[in-house]
Amino acid sequence: MIITKKSLPRRTVLRGLGSAVALPLLDSMVPALTALERTSAASKPRLGVVYVPHGAVMSNWTPPSEGRGFEFKRILQPVAKFRDRLTIVSGLDHAPAAQLPGDPAGGHGRITGAFLTGVHAKPTEGADFEAGKSVDQIAADRLGQRTQLASLELGIGLPEFGGACDAGFSCAYISTLCWSTPTSPLPMESRPRAVFERLFGDGTSTDPGARQTRLNEDRSILDAVSEKVKRLRKDLGSRDLAKLDEYFSAVRDVERRILRAEADVETELPVVDRPAAGVPASFEDYVKVMFDMQVLAYQADLTRVITFLMTPELTAQTYPEIGVPDPHHALSHHENNPESLEKLTKVGQYHATLLSYYLEKLDGIEDGEGSLLDQAMILYGSGMSNSNLHNIQNLPILLAGQGGGRLRGGQHIRCADETPLTNLFMTLLNKLDVPVESFGDSTGHLAEVSHL
Amino acid sequence: MIGSFMDRGRLAGILGVVFLLSLSSPSRLMANPQQDGAVTATSVDDPSGYRDVVRRYCAGCHNDRLRTGNLSLASVSVANVGEHADVWERVLDKLQTQSMPPPGRPRPDSDTYDRFAGWLEVALDEASSANPNPGRPTAHRLNRLEYVNAIRDLLDLNIDGEGLLPADDIAFGFDNNADILTVAPGMLERYMQTARTISRLALGDPAIQADTVRYAVSSLLTQDERMGEEFPFGARGGIAIQHHFPRDGEYFIRLRLRGNGGRNEPQEIDVRLDDERVALLRVGRWPTAEDKNAVPAGALDLRTNRSSDDSLEVRLPIRAGEHRLSVSFQKRTSVTEGVAPSRLPIWTFSTGRGFVERMALDSVEIDGPYATNAFVDGNSDEVGELASRRRIFSCYPEFSEEEESCVDEILRRLLRRAFRRPATDLDVAVALGFYREGRAGRTFDAGIQRGLESIIVDPEFLFRLERDPVDVLPATAYRLSDLELASRLSFFIWSSIPDDELFSVAVAGRLHEPVVLEEQVRRMLIDERSQVLVRSFGAQWLHLRRMRTVTPDVNAFPAFDDNLRTDLVRETELFLENELRNDESVVNLLTADYTFVNERLARHYGLSGVYGPRFRRVEWDDARRRGLLGHGSILTVTSLATRTSPVVRGKWILENILGTPPPPPPPDVPDLPEPVRGASSRSVRERLEEHRANPVCSNCHARMDPLGFALEHFDAVGQWREVTDGNVPIDPSGVLPNGTAFGGLPELRDVLVGRKKAFVTTVSEKLLTYALGRGLEYFDQPAVRRIVREAEADEYRWSALVLGVTRSMPFRMRRAEP
Repeated sequence: MIITKKSLPRRTVLRGLGSAVALPLLDSMVPALTALERTSAASKPRLGVVYVPHGAVMSNWTPPSEGRGFEFKRILQPVAKFRDRLTIVSGLDHAPAAQLPGDPAGGHGRITGAFLTGVHAKPTEGADFEAGKSVDQIAADRLGQRTQLASLELGIGLPEFGGACDAGFSCAYISTLCWSTPTSPLPMESRPRAVFERLFGDGTSTDPGARQTRLNEDRSILDAVSEKVKRLRKDLGSRDLAKLDEYFSAVRDVERRILRAEADVETELPVVDRPAAGVPASFEDYVKVMFDMQVLAYQADLTRVITFLMTPELTAQTYPEIGVPDPHHALSHHENNPESLEKLTKVGQYHATLLSYYLEKLDGIEDGEGSLLDQAMILYGSGMSNSNLHNIQNLPILLAGQGGGRLRGGQHIRCADETPLTNLFMTLLNKLDVPVESFGDSTGHLAEVSHL
Repeated sequence: MIGSFMDRGRLAGILGVVFLLSLSSPSRLMANPQQDGAVTATSVDDPSGYRDVVRRYCAGCHNDRLRTGNLSLASVSVANVGEHADVWERVLDKLQTQSMPPPGRPRPDSDTYDRFAGWLEVALDEASSANPNPGRPTAHRLNRLEYVNAIRDLLDLNIDGEGLLPADDIAFGFDNNADILTVAPGMLERYMQTARTISRLALGDPAIQADTVRYAVSSLLTQDERMGEEFPFGARGGIAIQHHFPRDGEYFIRLRLRGNGGRNEPQEIDVRLDDERVALLRVGRWPTAEDKNAVPAGALDLRTNRSSDDSLEVRLPIRAGEHRLSVSFQKRTSVTEGVAPSRLPIWTFSTGRGFVERMALDSVEIDGPYATNAFVDGNSDEVGELASRRRIFSCYPEFSEEEESCVDEILRRLLRRAFRRPATDLDVAVALGFYREGRAGRTFDAGIQRGLESIIVDPEFLFRLERDPVDVLPATAYRLSDLELASRLSFFIWSSIPDDELFSVAVAGRLHEPVVLEEQVRRMLIDERSQVLVRSFGAQWLHLRRMRTVTPDVNAFPAFDDNLRTDLVRETELFLENELRNDESVVNLLTADYTFVNERLARHYGLSGVYGPRFRRVEWDDARRRGLLGHGSILTVTSLATRTSPVVRGKWILENILGTPPPPPPPDVPDLPEPVRGASSRSVRERLEEHRANPVCSNCHARMDPLGFALEHFDAVGQWREVTDGNVPIDPSGVLPNGTAFGGLPELRDVLVGRKKAFVTTVSEKLLTYALGRGLEYFDQPAVRRIVREAEADEYRWSALVLGVTRSMPFRMRRAEP
């Protein structure tokens, strides 16, 4: 069935970084799509993960009471205005991140490696790292079928230095949360410009004709590359071939994307200024532009799965702008010093302020029958609770958004003791119509699912 | 060395104390002198005698039943060491360091150790020569540095690698490890994008649109002084940028400020292009009573107080190509240039203590090109004189009939350089197809641009591929072709593609000749491009890259800012480069009586008489800071945020100087508890002594801690001190496990120099790892020994080591696919 293009294309310019200019209503542009399903009012759930390192001062995170009438503690105060679309889930444990007998000391590597994979990361500082396929990637297998990019992985302040990042654990574990297979960590992109180009290409025109030309050019390059790889296969050994096969499968990915993009070529894209090359000097501007990119990606429906590492574990990020000049990781070993706990609380609150910027933006964009925030399921939290001890019990976990009516929101749920975090993942996957039999150490779905 | 092929991590913890005692190898330095006097040397030079030694001293634990340390010597024969070279290399290591049998067990006398080790070494080396195993590095994707350098050498174009490509992972200490240079999903798209960007920049594509590039200045950079030699005299703060301007045209330069936002003082900002002033901007004013009433100084919101920089914009025509843009404040006072004698910690500005940071530069944005006909003598078709265009266009057709032959010439040359081999007709045909696609209905330049794009996204550019010859038997060693050798050489010494000379020697089939090889290696070392050995090999070996991320505690080290961070790294780089350029002995790294400092660093080190930002050579009068172990960079990367760590420093020396890394700590060992604030402070030394009382810990810590103690006079940012934080006088003495006592760093340095072979072996191993792009295996040990042995006659000069690597069997050969 063909739908004629009748709605008025809207163009809006998103200027500058971290600006609060509302984005256009992409809905009005949707009829330009050719496929009926995408124009139907059917909701398009998005899965997002926003990770913050070094746990939280739990006494300032966890609401004292459960249910609907809970009271926000200091750290989450900045997102209180979204109360009816938030679910605070307390009491989740993450046993896969536990230190096993024989494990090296590196708690942060283990915790990041396990967070979305539900698997105990193999202790190694070498190239033989191994964890598990992460929950976002399982979701992306399904949700990504309809979008140009199956998923997007973003991060800020990722480590880039010699040696292991944490005693006994490769940097791979610290610098990403996402694994497409147990042995393929997905690198996270930290440069706003590169994210933008990934989403919209480096063409400066969003004109359909120019985009089609660009796609044709990409295709002929890909064809040549495929031909070359085929020719090289003949005279290379098996390990070299494995390497080239990675390259070849990357070719397939891009081809697939081009096909998808061609179907979308008539779609009006929001006209946006590219973020400047280079990164903003301030942490706040940096985080905000990365959130802007995520909003754009969801808005243009280029992907429905995004994972964002706001800063990695072990980060030495300082926050002089809020009166915390101490490096975050050093500070996180607070030894119950009241001054340190106060500073950590401030950092937690600051991160939540940035989250609220994101939620606000999402809420400002109509999507389906509500806003993008209504369609989204954003998991926000950390892989540990008390950072002084690297506790992996009772993690600080927050769900934002309503997943297109799949999450009720507006409550604080306390799970039974020793409920695995992976049970929540099971439940979320179910709600995204990507059911799995089990995940990591899961023991089933979240018992409190009826409340969600 | 041995540790590189034994998986200590996995084994650790399976067994308890016994295991640790057996596996951990005290360093080459710290041989245990304990001997069983009753045993005399086995009087043999035939293997059977050594069989008795093994049976008597080793097989009690290392037999098929016990397999202590996962090792049995029961079924390996001294008669044929080549058959189990992996096992015998481990044995050799234990013999050389006399680290087995464990303390308390009977052991042979020193002479037996030496003779057995000597014999075994020769036997292993002979077995290796008879049956060489050079290993088989995997297809190697160019890492970011190699990619950037290859583009520079291919097109005479400097690109912003960090902006265009993701960072590479690291294995075996280096980011050029072939196994780990994988192609992640999304990477190809990145390469396609980058190829497009590069080909546009290289040709100066007229369709290039205005773009904004932001250069942010770290907020931890203090901008109170002249930042470097690239700034005018009398300047303070700011940034100097090397920027590629894609076309002739008009560009906007926009400045953003932070700090007091101009409320407290008028300032002049000096903007220079290639050292010539292009603008002098005035900003700020003296505060008025109104200001004072409105905003208490300490409460300024630094992030929003930007009103004064709205007008800080310069618009000017700039020629295509690379230019240096510098932006700095003019010092208004007549105070002598130099580091301010004292100042508040850099972070106090926003902590509500009433101090507001001086106005400083936050970022510079370059936006353009606009009005590409900005030059009077130009017109909009002229892209300007780009170095890259000169490099690409060895010919330029005046008439359309000339195009065909010129294209062929251009593409053939580009292909040859990019693929590091002569171009085939098929290569040219493929690239020509892209040329035609681009040329159709457009310009000659557009065609070349498209052809270039296809070349730099080709797997043969992006990967270093080595191909087995057709006639080689499976799993046998074969010699690399001269062209493959040329690539190995250039990526080792230059982290880039071969230049024309190296290439033509290889094409002529002469590179494998020893004289020619040596000539080329020496030429390449003298060439400026070898500087990358310092920045890449040196910085990774010594962990200098970690300086980017270390964060000394702001309360304990308020003076540590990004200026010092940069200077500390610069010192070590200049030192390494000087050593390499002068072809000194690598041992000199430990003992050199000079270094390079500027005023800030001199102040940090307590030197006087050094002024300004320029680095210069200074000689050390005393032995305190000689050699690498006195470098603030190394002392800082081996410290914790708040204090020194003798353990980390000791471990660093074991790993990087002596080549005998300790195994990882056994599981579930708690960290050394930090002292509770306010409690009576004990020195780190005392607390470590408690730690060593635990036998599980003592074996390794007895090796690490004393080395670290020798460096205790240097605090966590490398400044000299007489007392610790708790006011305890420093005691830099220590006793090594073999009983050698030293009174401080100078004496320890003498001990290290006395065992220089261990140090040279470590450097050789690191260098070979880097050169091959793979982790070393037991079968590489004969090659390492040979490099060290042959360099000895040449006093272990850098060139001798580098030559040794390039002559070595694993560098020149490859193992065929099994």
